[in-house]
Amino acid sequence: MELWNHLLGGFATAGTPINLLWAFIGCAVGTAVGVLPGIGPAVAVAMLLPITSQVDVTASMIFFAGIYYGAMYGGSTTSILLNTPGETGSMVTAMEGNKMAKSGRAGAALATAAIGSFVAGSVATVLVTLFAPVMADFAVTLGPPEYFCLMLLALTTVSSVLGQSTLRGITALFVGLAAGLIGMDQITGQVRYTGGVPELLDGIEIVLVAVGLFAVAEALYAVLYEGKTSESQNAMSRVHMTGKEWRRSWPAWLRGTVLGFPFGTIPAGGTEIPTFLSYGLEKKLARDKSEFGTTGAIEGVAGPEAANNAAVTGTLVPLLTLGIPTSTTAAILLGAFQNYGIQPGPQLFETSSSLVWALIASLYIGNVMLLVLNLPMVGLWVKLLKIPKPQLYAGILIFATVGVYGMRQSAFDLVLLYAIGVLGVVMRRYDFPTAPVIVGMILGPLAEAQMRNALAIGEGKWTIFLERPMSLTLLAVVVAVLVVPRLFKQFSGPAIKDLPNH
Amino acid sequence: MSNAGRQKRQTLVGLGVLALGLGLGAGAYGIPSDAGYAGVGPNFLPWVVSAVLVLCGGWVIREARSGGFRGMEPPSGAEDGHWPGFVWVSAGLLLNALLITSVGFILSCTLCFTLAVRGLRTAEGRHDMSPRSWLVDIASGAAIAAPVYWMFTKLLAINLPGLTATGWI
Repeated sequence: MELWNHLLGGFATAGTPINLLWAFIGCAVGTAVGVLPGIGPAVAVAMLLPITSQVDVTASMIFFAGIYYGAMYGGSTTSILLNTPGETGSMVTAMEGNKMAKSGRAGAALATAAIGSFVAGSVATVLVTLFAPVMADFAVTLGPPEYFCLMLLALTTVSSVLGQSTLRGITALFVGLAAGLIGMDQITGQVRYTGGVPELLDGIEIVLVAVGLFAVAEALYAVLYEGKTSESQNAMSRVHMTGKEWRRSWPAWLRGTVLGFPFGTIPAGGTEIPTFLSYGLEKKLARDKSEFGTTGAIEGVAGPEAANNAAVTGTLVPLLTLGIPTSTTAAILLGAFQNYGIQPGPQLFETSSSLVWALIASLYIGNVMLLVLNLPMVGLWVKLLKIPKPQLYAGILIFATVGVYGMRQSAFDLVLLYAIGVLGVVMRRYDFPTAPVIVGMILGPLAEAQMRNALAIGEGKWTIFLERPMSLTLLAVVVAVLVVPRLFKQFSGPAIKDLPNH
Repeated sequence: MSNAGRQKRQTLVGLGVLALGLGLGAGAYGIPSDAGYAGVGPNFLPWVVSAVLVLCGGWVIREARSGGFRGMEPPSGAEDGHWPGFVWVSAGLLLNALLITSVGFILSCTLCFTLAVRGLRTAEGRHDMSPRSWLVDIASGAAIAAPVYWMFTKLLAINLPGLTATGWI
């Protein structure tokens, strides 16, 4: 009952005209950045972070959540029509949806993606509503040792499970941790690695690194390597599903949701795994497998799209209840909270109850808005794809400047932005994942503080992490995450090992 | 790209990681180890990060020299970079950093936009240097930069540098 009252209170806050307007603008901006290649939700939120200095916290969180959500909807449009997935979560949609579009069923693919996102997003929001308070109650009982182990788990999975190579993932993670070291140490105030540059005393802004690694690097990569790449756009057809397509879609949506949500909630983040799992599952269950990979099977779009959205919604659970981001965008959202002096975690549900519930209520509202924005108006969004690439990327650079300069009013940051952009090009060229850099940078200082607090509790003894059952369990999970996939590879037969590059 | 060329470039990436690790280690010397109750002080994590990066750097070099990076997705796009275009875009970004405080956001970003569009267009193989195309680019740059500037300074009251103190340019 208390839950219900909280939620109603949330709707009352989120439903004021001004907050509805923020939600709407967020959804629209999010859809646009999702559709446009070269810019994703993390960068969009990062570039708009300066508004946190002026706009009230509830309004800006509603706005950012709208962008986060909207980008997922918009991203599937581009994947289906262009076969250029904006982010890893829509890779599967790009495979199967693009096949459907090629055989003249773009409209049905877009419809099942949008409605599937709506179904999954709504179900997952209900689950967040139910689970987040329980999780927060549980999280209150955790101490620094457990927090440190949870963060260690998040860092391990982000860098070693995702991506092609654990070595490159770990390297990227430690580059992020190194960036997080710059500035003042949280516990003693000791200055580290500033090289006497006063601008570095407060550390490097997460916005700067995200915008540099994604937006600037994207523009530099495009000019260096992709000038001659031409893209062909699939023809649109009417956004409509037949009765048979509905019947084939809805079980896939539900299965995708069930698969996606848990992956979002555990600090093992990423939408890559659940979307691929969902694709595999749909392929296995399909009576007629001949459509998969040839003319395009609608289940292969419906399931993964739902899994993607459910996982994205699920990432809000560890973010809000534990303060642990498991995706790049969640890391930036954490940065937004920190700008307001709010540290997400179990206390958030006590101290900022109205904010949390308004945010959750706005997810329900945002989902409905996005369905309306995306189904009838998809033709409008597709027009964005007509912007020529030079103007698009050059325009993104202007927005990048606003985001980074608006944060601290420092021209030095713009030089740093360029340098990080160049680093991003190298990383992309040599297949280093970028998400671990961002997550490492924001989680590193938090994990370090928890570790030192934990050691202080244990009077300097490392055994503190082994003495407490919960932290011991978490450490075992970390080890399992590192070891099990390798054992699996070892025992799954020589076939995989014999392949080149494995 | 030839095999030897690829090996060389991948080795360079590894050397970069190694250098970063060593640099962090050198910096860690200067950080006091005063631990208080915790047992580890502010220099602990720097040492860990430095050590792991040195290990990673070494390993990356090993992979590069023994048949190339493992499990590597072939990079998208052309094999060789289009450097003239890169110079245009870089010039736009760096001049923007240099000029933004003196000439203001709108003019500086318009310049950045114009140079970046030039670069991206030459990368596509279109070398249109006519005065008309310059004018069109400058106008479109200003048409993006000016409303963004006004939105931030007038609507959100966020401080961005201007040529004048009026908040309009």
